[in-house]
Amino acid sequence: MKGLKKYYTNKLVWYFITFIVAVVLNFVLPRLMPGDPVSGIAARAIQGMTDSTAIQKVYEDYIEKFGVNEPIMTQFVTFVKNAVRGDFGVSFSQYPRPVSDIIKSSVLWTIALQLPAIIVGWFLGNLLGAAAAYIKGVFDKAILPFFLFVSNIPAFGMATILLSIFAINLGWFPKGGGYGFDLIPNQSWAFFKSIIWHYQLPFWSVVLITIGGQAVGMRSMSIYELNADYVKYSRFLGIKDRKIVGYVFRNAMLPQITGLAMSIGTMIGGALVAEIVFSYPGLGSTILSAVSGRDYPLLSACTLIITIMVLLANLFVELIYGVIDPRIKAAQQD
Amino acid sequence: MKKRFKKILSLILVGAMSVSMLTACGGKAEQAAAPAGEEAAPAKEEAATEEATPAAEETASNEAGSTPRNETLYFAGQQWGSINDWNPMSANSNNAMGITQNDASRILIYESLFMYNMLDGKLYGLLGKDYKWNDDQTELTVTMNPDAKWSDGTPVTAEDVAYTFDCHIKYNSSKGNDYGSYIESVTAADDETVVFKALLDDTGKAVNPLKVLGYLPDLYVMQKAYLEKVEERNGEDADKVKQDKMEDLVASGPYHPYYDDDQKVVFERDDNYWGVSLWGGLPAPKYICHNIFADNAACQVALAAGEVDIDQQFITDVQKLWEEDGLPISTYVDEAPYGICASLPTIFYNVEVAGLDDVNVRKAIAWAVDYDQIISSAMSNQSPTFKDVPRSIMNPTEGEQALLDHEALKPYQFEGNDIDGANKLLDDAGIVDTDGDGIREIDGKNLSYKAECPEGWSDWQATLEIVAAAGKNIGIEIETYFPDANTFYDDMTTCKFEIGMFWTPGAAIACPYLRAANFFSKEYAELDVNWSGNYGHYMNDEADAILKKIPNETDTAKLKEYYTELSKIYLEDVPSFTAMYKPQMFHTVNETVWTGYPQLDDGNNIPPMLCTDGYGIAGLYNLKNVEQ
Amino acid sequence: MKNQIRQIFHSSKFLGGFCVMIFLLLLMIVYPLFVTDDPLEMIGQGNFFKPGTYISVTDTVDTDTYTLKLDNVGARLESKISVEDRADMADWLEKFGGVGISQIDVTDAEGLIRLWEQYYSKDAAQDGLLISKKKYYARLDKKIDGILEDTDLKIAAEDPETGDISIAETIPANAYVNTKDIATKRTFILGTDNFGRDVLTELASATKTSLMIGLVAGAVATLIGLILGLLAGYVGGFVDDTIMFVTNLFTVIPSFVLLILISYSVGESARGVTLVATIIGLTSWPWTTRSVRSQVISLRNRDHVNLSKLSGHSLFRIILTDILPYLASYVVMALIVQISSGILSEAQLSMIGLGPATTKVSTLGLMMSWAMTYSAHLNGAWWAFLPVIFSIALISFSLNLMNIGLDQVFNPQLRD
Repeated sequence: MKGLKKYYTNKLVWYFITFIVAVVLNFVLPRLMPGDPVSGIAARAIQGMTDSTAIQKVYEDYIEKFGVNEPIMTQFVTFVKNAVRGDFGVSFSQYPRPVSDIIKSSVLWTIALQLPAIIVGWFLGNLLGAAAAYIKGVFDKAILPFFLFVSNIPAFGMATILLSIFAINLGWFPKGGGYGFDLIPNQSWAFFKSIIWHYQLPFWSVVLITIGGQAVGMRSMSIYELNADYVKYSRFLGIKDRKIVGYVFRNAMLPQITGLAMSIGTMIGGALVAEIVFSYPGLGSTILSAVSGRDYPLLSACTLIITIMVLLANLFVELIYGVIDPRIKAAQQD
Repeated sequence: MKKRFKKILSLILVGAMSVSMLTACGGKAEQAAAPAGEEAAPAKEEAATEEATPAAEETASNEAGSTPRNETLYFAGQQWGSINDWNPMSANSNNAMGITQNDASRILIYESLFMYNMLDGKLYGLLGKDYKWNDDQTELTVTMNPDAKWSDGTPVTAEDVAYTFDCHIKYNSSKGNDYGSYIESVTAADDETVVFKALLDDTGKAVNPLKVLGYLPDLYVMQKAYLEKVEERNGEDADKVKQDKMEDLVASGPYHPYYDDDQKVVFERDDNYWGVSLWGGLPAPKYICHNIFADNAACQVALAAGEVDIDQQFITDVQKLWEEDGLPISTYVDEAPYGICASLPTIFYNVEVAGLDDVNVRKAIAWAVDYDQIISSAMSNQSPTFKDVPRSIMNPTEGEQALLDHEALKPYQFEGNDIDGANKLLDDAGIVDTDGDGIREIDGKNLSYKAECPEGWSDWQATLEIVAAAGKNIGIEIETYFPDANTFYDDMTTCKFEIGMFWTPGAAIACPYLRAANFFSKEYAELDVNWSGNYGHYMNDEADAILKKIPNETDTAKLKEYYTELSKIYLEDVPSFTAMYKPQMFHTVNETVWTGYPQLDDGNNIPPMLCTDGYGIAGLYNLKNVEQ
Repeated sequence: MKNQIRQIFHSSKFLGGFCVMIFLLLLMIVYPLFVTDDPLEMIGQGNFFKPGTYISVTDTVDTDTYTLKLDNVGARLESKISVEDRADMADWLEKFGGVGISQIDVTDAEGLIRLWEQYYSKDAAQDGLLISKKKYYARLDKKIDGILEDTDLKIAAEDPETGDISIAETIPANAYVNTKDIATKRTFILGTDNFGRDVLTELASATKTSLMIGLVAGAVATLIGLILGLLAGYVGGFVDDTIMFVTNLFTVIPSFVLLILISYSVGESARGVTLVATIIGLTSWPWTTRSVRSQVISLRNRDHVNLSKLSGHSLFRIILTDILPYLASYVVMALIVQISSGILSEAQLSMIGLGPATTKVSTLGLMMSWAMTYSAHLNGAWWAFLPVIFSIALISFSLNLMNIGLDQVFNPQLRD
C-alpha cells in the first residue's frame, strides 16, 4: 500500500508540474505567432478614415487598451491573476466581449455534442470489436472492415457526405444550426424537438468516425484475452462459456478505457470541423476564429480548457487503473 | 433574455444528450423516450407562457417563440458571429445586420438623412428632405423632413443632427475622426434646417466638398435626448460612451431589436413607424431575421432550402440554382454577371520593391495575367469581362463610364493572357534570365515576389493563384501568400507587401473621385499607417495634380478630361491593375415565401441593395407574400 | 524471416490492404506515364465542368459527315422540353395568353409549341407571377425558338480583307459525324475543378504528394518517438521522468493547436510540402514514445539484456543489438499508423488554410479545400470532392488493414 501511495504522490506532483508548464505555454505560444492582433481591430475602427494623425491615434489607443505594449512578464502575471478568477480578459476578435462570456455560450454545445458522441461511438466500437473477435464471420469479414474504412474518412469529408446525402438530397434532417431557423429559444416542446433534430447529423458524424478505431483495438484485446491461459483453463474446468466471455470482455475493456480518456481529451479538435460544416454552435468555430483573428486571450482560454480536460482525463484513468487492474498495480510496485 | 436562454439550453442539451444516447443504444429507445418527453412538455409550456415577453403575446395566434415564416424576411451573408452592441459610434459592434454606416447605410433601425441610389447616383430624402450647396460649395444646407419621428414619438429635429455630429467628434468615433477632417461644424439653424460648414483650406475653398456630401447618406441620426442619457450614465468618458451597448436605444427606423444570441439576430417591425407618410405604408415583413451561419456554404444550403430569402454572398455557378435545380431563386439581372458590378478588386504593386519599381515588370505581369480565367473561374462569370468594359479607373456603371473618353484610352488597353507580348516587353527592356534558372533577373537578382491576400477570401485567393500561374509563363516567380487577415492588413497598410490584392471604393456619392484617390493619392502614400489607398506608394506628380483639382470641379466636361487622363496614366504606368469587377452587393433572392423583389428592368429604379441599404430599402415596401 | 513474410501474405487483411495500396501506387506511377499534362494546368474556363468527352465544335463542323435519316426534331423536343416544361407552358398560355384550356393539348408537343410561339410575349402583363418564373418562361422561350425547324444550318465566314460576311458552308439537318473522326477532343474522366484543372490528373499527382507527406511525417514522428521511447524505457529514472514529462506536455496541449501555431510561425512563403510534413511529424510523436517506452520496459529485464549488461556492453550497443531488434516489428506498425495519420493531418490543415503553400504542387487536402470553398458539394460537382475523400480514406484504410494483418503475424497471441 505504501508503494501505491508513493506512486500516486509522484504522479500528482508530475501532473501538477505539467499543468503549470502547460499554462505558461498556453500563454506564450499564441503570442509567438507573427502578426499584429491590434491592427485587425484597428482596421475596423479606421476604415474610411483619411486623416493620418487620427488613424495613428486610434491605433495607439488600442495598443494601450490591450496592454500588448507591456513586457510579456507583466502580461503573464495579469493573465494568471485574472484566470484564477475565471476572467480571461477581453477578446480581441470580438472586442469588447469578455472571453469567459464567449466560452460560456459555446462550450456547452460542444460538450453536449462530443461527449455523448464519443461515448456512444466508443461503446458501439467495443461491441463491434468484441463481436468480431468472438462471433467472427460477417462481423470480422465485412462490418469491421467497413467501419474501419469509414473511420478513415477525414472528419470534414464525413460531415460533408452526411450533409449532402441526408440533409440536402434526402431532406430528412435540417441543414445546419443548433435549432430551427425560425425559432427563438423558449421552453416549448417544439423548440426541444428542434434541438434534438438538429443534433442528429453532427452527432452521427462523430459517432461513425469513432467506431472503427475503437473496434479494431477491442478486437485485438479480445482475441488476446480469448487466447489467454485462464480462458483455456476455465474451459477445461467446464465453466459456462457465457461466464468466461463475460470475464474476457471485461478484461479486454480495461485498456480501452485509456482510449476513451484520450478521445475525450482530443474531442474539441475533432469538433472543429464537424461544427463548422453543420454551422453548429460550439467551441470549434470559436477556436478557428480565435486563430484567424490572432485572438490571444480567447485562444489561451480555449487551449487551457482543453489542457485541463486532457490532464483530468489522463489523471482519472491512471488513478482508476491503479485500483482496478491488479496487473498494473503489481507493475507499479515493481 | 440571454441568461434565461442559457439555462434553458443547458436543460435541453442534457435532455438531448440522454435522448440521443438512448436512440444510439437501441432502436426501440426512441419510442420510449418520445412519450416521456411529451409528458414533460405541458409543464414546460406553462412556464413558457408565464414568462413570455409582451412581444410574443402580441403574436398569440402564432406559435410562441418562433418568427413565423410568412411574416419574416430571412437574410444570410451579412452577420457573422454574435453581435456586441447597438451603438453607431462603436467600432466593434459586429452588428452588420443592424448597424452598417457606409456610402449606402443600412437603415432598418437607425436612419440616415438621405439614401444613396447607385443606379442614378442620386440622393433620396429620408430624415432629410432637401439639400443645397451655396455657390462656392462651402456650406451645405439640409431641410429636415417634418414628419420624421423617433420611436418614442418625439419629432426628429435639426438639433438631433447637429448633436449627433458633435458626439462623433467629441468622442473620437471613427466616423467622427474621418468627417472631422472635412466638416467644420454642423449647426441647427432652426428646427428644420441644418447647416453643414465645410472645413476650408488656405485658399478659402472647401477641403473636399465631396466628403461633406458623403456624410448625408452615411451617418445615422441619433436622438439628442437619448445621447445625453448615454453620456450621463457613462460620465462622458469617451471609451465608455463608445462601448455603451445601447440596448435601450431610441431610433427612427421601421424596425427595432427583438432578439439576439450567437445563432441569430431578429428585428421586429415598429408599427408606429413615422415613414408611413413617406413610403405610403409599412414594410411588409413583421420580422427581419438573420441566422448566423458558419460559412458561405451553409448560407447557400439554407438559401436553396428556402430558409433564407435574401442572400448576400458569392455563389459558385449561381445560375445552376434556377437553371438546373429549378428553384424559385433569382438575381437582379438574369444573365451573367447577375448583378450590378460597382467595385474593382485590384492588385497593387509595392513600387518600393526592387524590380516592381520598373514599369516594364509591372506591365509584363499585368499583360500576362489571364483575366478571362479569373472572371470565369475565380468569379464564376459574375463579372463583365474586360472586353465588355475596358479597363480604366471607373467602375462599370453607366454614370461613371460616361465620365470617360473611351476612344482616347483605346491605344493603352490590354486584354491579358498576352504571354508573348509580356515576354517581348521584358526581353526588349533587357530584363532576361542570365543564369538559366528560368527566372529573369534585374541586377543579378531574381524577380521573385509574394502575392498576398487574406486566408479565406476565396475568390481573391483563386485570383492570385491565376496571377502566379501567369508569372510562371513569363519568367517571373510569383508565390501566393495567404496570411490571416490581421497580418494582411498590417502588411498592406504599412507597405510591407510585394504584390497585394485589396478592395477599392465601390458605388458612392463621392466616387469616382475616392477611387481615383485610392489609386494615385500622394497624401495617402505619405501616411505611416495607410488604410485609405495607394498602398504601394506610387508617386506621380502629374496624377496628383489632377487629383487635387477634382473635388471642387463641377463642370462635367472638365471632369471627363481629368478622369480620362488619370485612366491613361493608370494604363500606361500600371501602378496597380484591376483583376475583375465585383458586384456592389451579391443579391440573390428566393421567392418561396416573399416576392416582389427589385429587378433591373422593372421600372422602379431600386438598386440591388438587399432591400435594406440606402435607396435599396424601397424594395422592402414592395414585398408581398407568395400566394399559395 | 522468409517464413514471416509468407505468413504476412497469408493474412487476408494484410493482403486486402496491400492490394489497395498497390492499386493506388500503380495509379500514381502509371497514370502520369500516359497523361503527361501538367496537373496544375488550368484548361477549362469556368468552374466544375462535368466528366465526359469534350469535342471541338469547329472541328466537328470540318469533319466528314454522314447522313442519317433520324427524327431530329422529335429527339430535340424530348431532350429539351420536359413534361414539367410543357405543363408550365400550358399554365402560362391559359393564365396570361388567353388561350382556352380546351385548345391546349399537353401531349402534343408540336401543337403546344406552335401555340406558344403564337401567344407568348415576354412583355405581357404577368400579374402575380414570380420573378423567377417570369425569367424561367423567358429562358424557355429562347430555348424553344426554332426548335421545330428542320432546316439546314448555315455557317457564315468573314472575308478578312473586306469584312463582308458570306455563307461558307451549309450543314444539312440530317448530317451526323462520327465522334471517332473528330480530330481534337479531350476526355475528363473526373471532370474539372474550380480552376478548370483536370481532376483525375491532379488527383494522381496529389495522391503522390500526400503519400510523401505521410511518409516524411511518419518517419520524423517515429524516429523521435523511437529514440525518446528507448531512452525513457531503458535508462529510466530521471531521464524517464523528464522525457515522459515532455511527452505529457505534448499530449496535454492539443496537437492541432501546436500545428496551427507552428504553421503560422513558419510563415507561408517557407511552407513547402516537406516542411508541413516535418511539422506534422514534430507534433505527433508522443503516442509512439509512450508505446515504445512500455515495450522497452517489458524487454529490459529479459535475460539476454541482463547478460549483455553484465558483459559490460555500452548503453548504445545494448539498445542497438539487444532491444531494437525485438522492437522492429512494433516500430514498423507504429510507422504505418503515423503515415496514415500524417496524411489525415495534412488534409485537416489544408482545410483550415494552413496546408502547404500552393502554387507548385497539389495535395489531397488542398484539392478538398478548394472544392469546398467553391462549394462543389452544393453544386452537384461530386467529382471534385468525393474522389479526394475516398483517396484519403483508401490510403489510410489500406495502411490500417495491413497493420492489423502484421499485428496478427507478429503477435501470435492475437491469432484467431
